[in-house]
Amino acid sequence: MASTFLDRENTVASPGFNRFLVPPAALAVHLSIGQAYAFSTFNLPLTRLIGHGHSAPADWDLKQVGWIFSIAIVFLGSSAAVFGRWVEKVGPRKSMFTSALCFGGGFIVSAFGIHLHQLWLLYLGYGVLGGCGLGIGYISPVSTLIKWFPDRPGMATGVAIMGFGGGALIAAPLSVMLMAHFKTAVSTGVLETFVTMGVIYFMYMMIGVYAVRVPAPDWKPAGWSAPAHPKQLVTTADVSVDMAWRTPQFWLLWVVLCMNVTAGIGVLGQASPMIQEIFSGRVTPATAAGFVGLLSLFNMGGRIIWATTSDYIGRRNTYMVFFLLGLLLYSTVPTFGHLGSIPLFVAAFCIILSMYGGGFAAIPAYLRDIFGTYQVGAIHGRLLTAWSVAGVLGPVLVNYIRQYQIDNGVPKAQAYSVTMYIMCGLLLIGFLCNSAIRAVDEKYHYRGSIQT
Amino acid sequence: MKVRLVLLWIAVGIPLSWGVMKTLENALMLFQ
Repeated sequence: MASTFLDRENTVASPGFNRFLVPPAALAVHLSIGQAYAFSTFNLPLTRLIGHGHSAPADWDLKQVGWIFSIAIVFLGSSAAVFGRWVEKVGPRKSMFTSALCFGGGFIVSAFGIHLHQLWLLYLGYGVLGGCGLGIGYISPVSTLIKWFPDRPGMATGVAIMGFGGGALIAAPLSVMLMAHFKTAVSTGVLETFVTMGVIYFMYMMIGVYAVRVPAPDWKPAGWSAPAHPKQLVTTADVSVDMAWRTPQFWLLWVVLCMNVTAGIGVLGQASPMIQEIFSGRVTPATAAGFVGLLSLFNMGGRIIWATTSDYIGRRNTYMVFFLLGLLLYSTVPTFGHLGSIPLFVAAFCIILSMYGGGFAAIPAYLRDIFGTYQVGAIHGRLLTAWSVAGVLGPVLVNYIRQYQIDNGVPKAQAYSVTMYIMCGLLLIGFLCNSAIRAVDEKYHYRGSIQT
Repeated sequence: MKVRLVLLWIAVGIPLSWGVMKTLENALMLFQ
């Protein structure tokens, strides 16, 4: 019975179905899995499980706990790449359900790990199982939304991917509230919080499972017809995932995403210490937390704003703006630091983080433009391996170069300048790759019959 | 259909608005 409900053929929308029911279904999934961005709220409490509020010798250290998130991000990228074609085949409902099982189950397995004080169970639970839930959940609504909104693909996927940014805004205060609620003299409250969040997120993702529909094969928006002369780079042909993998366009886009994410993610991870060190004595930890919150808001807002903008100015032009404006801002940020101008510094990073989010949100529509709608979800899944690489590269670049500078006698306030100029170099590479993207050669086009 | 549309958007809109509000409360510290 359950498998029947989850099957793709039972999710085909009946005539008259309102397509605006699909974005909230996608949002329900992305708002849940976006919790991953707020996992750091558990880091300190996880190092105080035995000491009950302070670290005991038998407690895990921060470095060990930090691996939970890293494993989850690696499995996000790899599961999106591996299961992308399966997601296309079984449809959004079954893949969203699988994602909910993995993500909610990951919390429950991790709760067992906390109960038994076995770190490997957290690596397996939140890291591997939860990471697979993140990857499958992230790509599951993408191709469905693109098919429902052929007239506004950027806006549609932007709404869903905005949810991933917004999920952190919900999860951070929710985690703190739950831990405070469950905290006792003999417990940090993390175990109970994990169980509660596992159940809440599973149930919330069921909203998406229930509400999602795929359009009928011949469906198109009322009054809309595919443009006779598509914009430059927008194809009317299709490329299969296995063929897309072999085109230069796929790898150029891979580098474009990787460079854009690397430039943003390193800053996002180090935002709090960075602003405190650059404006030493003027920015308190509480104020720095406000800065991090502001960056998260711009990360989320940039996803919908830039993705919608890309529907009007084109995908390649949107990324041109990201790279050129990013270059300008990263090269002037050290000057804002030297001038001691906190407002200019904050404004520059808010715009940078909006473009970081925008890069994630506009990429599915970019892929649709280049490779068509046939297996765009699976191609998107494979492209997300760039995120996994950037997730390691960005923080390593920022942390390593900062430490190298400090070890060589550079004052802490100036230790980030070189990093900013290196980010400019990465953005220049992204700009060149984006400029090199052309339409896919006809020899790669899919010539079989497409079953929607 | 319209009722379901409104309910679905409320289901995602309320938690998102709460998260944005909590984050803005923190972000305001930057300007105090």
